[in-house]
Amino acid sequence: MTLVRMTQNMLSRQSFTGMQTAMARVAKAQEQLTTGRLINRPSDDPTGATSAMRIRSSLAAQTQYVRNADDAVGWLDQSDSALQEATTQVSRARDIALQGANGGALGPKALEALATEVDQIREGLITTANTKYLDRPIFGGITAGGAAYKADGTLADPDALGTPSGVVRTVADGARIRIDLEGPAVFGPEGDSVFTHLTDLSDALRTGDSAAIQTAISTLKADSDRVSNAQADIGARTVRVETARSVANDATLTLSNALSSVENVDLAKATVDLGLREVAYQAALGATARVLQPSLLDFLR
Amino acid sequence: MAGAFSSINTALSALRYQQAALDIASTNIANVSTDGYVRRRVVGETVGAAAAPAVWSRSNEIGSGVQSSGVQRMVDSLLDARVRREHGRQSYLDLKAAAMARVETGIAEPSETGVAKAIDTFQKSLDDLNNAPSSDAARSQVLANANVVADAFNIQARNLEDETGDQRARVLSTVQEINDVAKQLADTNFTISTSSGNGSDTATLMDTRDQLALRLSELTGATATTRADGGMDMTLGGVSLVSGRTSATLQIATGITPTGAGDGSPVAFTLLQQDGTTPAVVPPTGELAASVELIDVVLPGYAAGLNDLVKQFADAFNDAHDDGYDATGAVGGKFFDYTDPDRAGSLKVVVTSTSAIAVSSVASTTPGVGNNDTGNASKLADSITIQDGYQRLVNGFGSAVASTQRLAANQVAMTSQVDAAREQQAGVSIDEETVNMVMAQHSYEAAARVMTTVDEMLDTLINRTGIVGR
Repeated sequence: MTLVRMTQNMLSRQSFTGMQTAMARVAKAQEQLTTGRLINRPSDDPTGATSAMRIRSSLAAQTQYVRNADDAVGWLDQSDSALQEATTQVSRARDIALQGANGGALGPKALEALATEVDQIREGLITTANTKYLDRPIFGGITAGGAAYKADGTLADPDALGTPSGVVRTVADGARIRIDLEGPAVFGPEGDSVFTHLTDLSDALRTGDSAAIQTAISTLKADSDRVSNAQADIGARTVRVETARSVANDATLTLSNALSSVENVDLAKATVDLGLREVAYQAALGATARVLQPSLLDFLR
Repeated sequence: MAGAFSSINTALSALRYQQAALDIASTNIANVSTDGYVRRRVVGETVGAAAAPAVWSRSNEIGSGVQSSGVQRMVDSLLDARVRREHGRQSYLDLKAAAMARVETGIAEPSETGVAKAIDTFQKSLDDLNNAPSSDAARSQVLANANVVADAFNIQARNLEDETGDQRARVLSTVQEINDVAKQLADTNFTISTSSGNGSDTATLMDTRDQLALRLSELTGATATTRADGGMDMTLGGVSLVSGRTSATLQIATGITPTGAGDGSPVAFTLLQQDGTTPAVVPPTGELAASVELIDVVLPGYAAGLNDLVKQFADAFNDAHDDGYDATGAVGGKFFDYTDPDRAGSLKVVVTSTSAIAVSSVASTTPGVGNNDTGNASKLADSITIQDGYQRLVNGFGSAVASTQRLAANQVAMTSQVDAAREQQAGVSIDEETVNMVMAQHSYEAAARVMTTVDEMLDTLINRTGIVGR
């Protein structure tokens, strides 16, 4: 633009625009510093805003995966200790059976005592089978009731077992791990379970039926193996869940960093920017003060 | 041969002329910051020899002074037309950008309080419920977070509705203002034509005329043509808005009721002419065009996107919920509800009891007693797939806001450039006026000196001639 005439109004308007622009830039830098965020609304950086929203979504999902995995680990640990307990109880019963097999050396009273102990072990085992995690019986499948087994060693809610989903935790995108073991998988099928075997053993001890005791020894061996297998299974699942948890934890950290790099202000840079913009603003103020003061009148006589 | 007193008359004309020049300088200085004031200049012309000398006569006059032939307004009508055009575009973009920025603030993304966050939290609470289906706390969390999602959508819908309402009210008041200004311009045109007829100075009226025309352009993007009598005609989208001393009346044909509500159809205008015809008219730019575009295109566009998402979200979730069984073993049924067409504004959670959330995928065997299956919880969580669509919608709107703001910023450069060009021509420079003032003062003094000189000459002639030897 070639300037033919300059007027005071042009100068003042230009100065005003300059000051406004400088001040707006100071305000923008200040907003970024005070909010600590580079993107305060989508139009600040539409692409960045979309990435930020995506990352937030993923971050929420990963945080939840960690929570889910924590819960799964709790459930699995509870299962593991219950199974440990069950293994001890079943081996103890088997020891008693072996003791009872030497029937000749023991009198009926001693056998009665052994039988009583087996009964107690059975009761203890039923309690173990009804172990709860957060008020849910861990071997009860999807039952809404408080127990997996009734006091007589039969299943409390057979309908709650064998459902396709079971108790499942989502520990990664698309990775749903089943964390429960149903009662029959641990304690044997209904009618042929460790509880019936223990009843059989205590009956055999009371009647001194050595053949039945021998049968019990071998069935209890099978029961003990089943519980151990279940424990190994639970251990394998724990490893899977824990791996998934550490992956999700890492992802949480990475995503937090990514979000911060997209969305958050680089404090040092923002502070320097603010300083520079303040300098520019002060320059505009200074220039305005100097440019608007003199007129020809100051120099006439 | 000029008469003895002619120089006195010449000096007198100079005194008068310089007085006028001083008057103009002082008027210019007085109005240095008056809006729309155009600097004046007094145009002097030499009073002198007969303009058309006759064949047999001859004048030996060498000039008999100066007279002011008029006061000139320093304007360039071409530049004024550009100023009006750029101001029309500027006000259009400014209004649009400001309204869109307001809506964008209402969207509140990315943040810890927007729809995206609400959906994420809702999805997380469904996972928590999957972990603890029998927990009442987890269930009420799901309900609470579902309500947060519905509220977040409601708030956005209400923001859009509020902004649309504001813009409708603005159209009503803008139309009122346009009609007022058009009427004033017509009145000014009338005064100009009568004043110029009787020879009065019309410069101030012209300033008013230009101001009114500029305001009309800002409001509607109307274009102006100057009339022979000094008045200004304005046409709006090819239809006459002001013609001489008559102005047409802008009316809202459809789109907005007199109370400021919407009537469902796009906003349309007619111009009621003096002869009773009502041709349809579309404002090309200006504030009116911006409001109309916001009401008819921008805001409904975003609302439609939001409503589609709500439908997709609620329908998918309801389907998944209906596939499941709740804590009492009953079939899930509807979870969310909405009414067309304002789905985002009417989205609500219809499930009120915590036990009615259907997370089980296994039918109950005992009536009235549910189970702890959670096969449906993951289905519910997976049914929420609108995040991508929502991000696209917000991103699209953000881009539109950013591009409008960029356009407005570019337009500021254009507008201030033509403003500066106009100011160059029409603005008052105090330095220049001071120079003019000093010049007028000195010329006045010189003319007075001429008078004294002639006076002394006459004194010599009258009182000292013919007294030789007396």
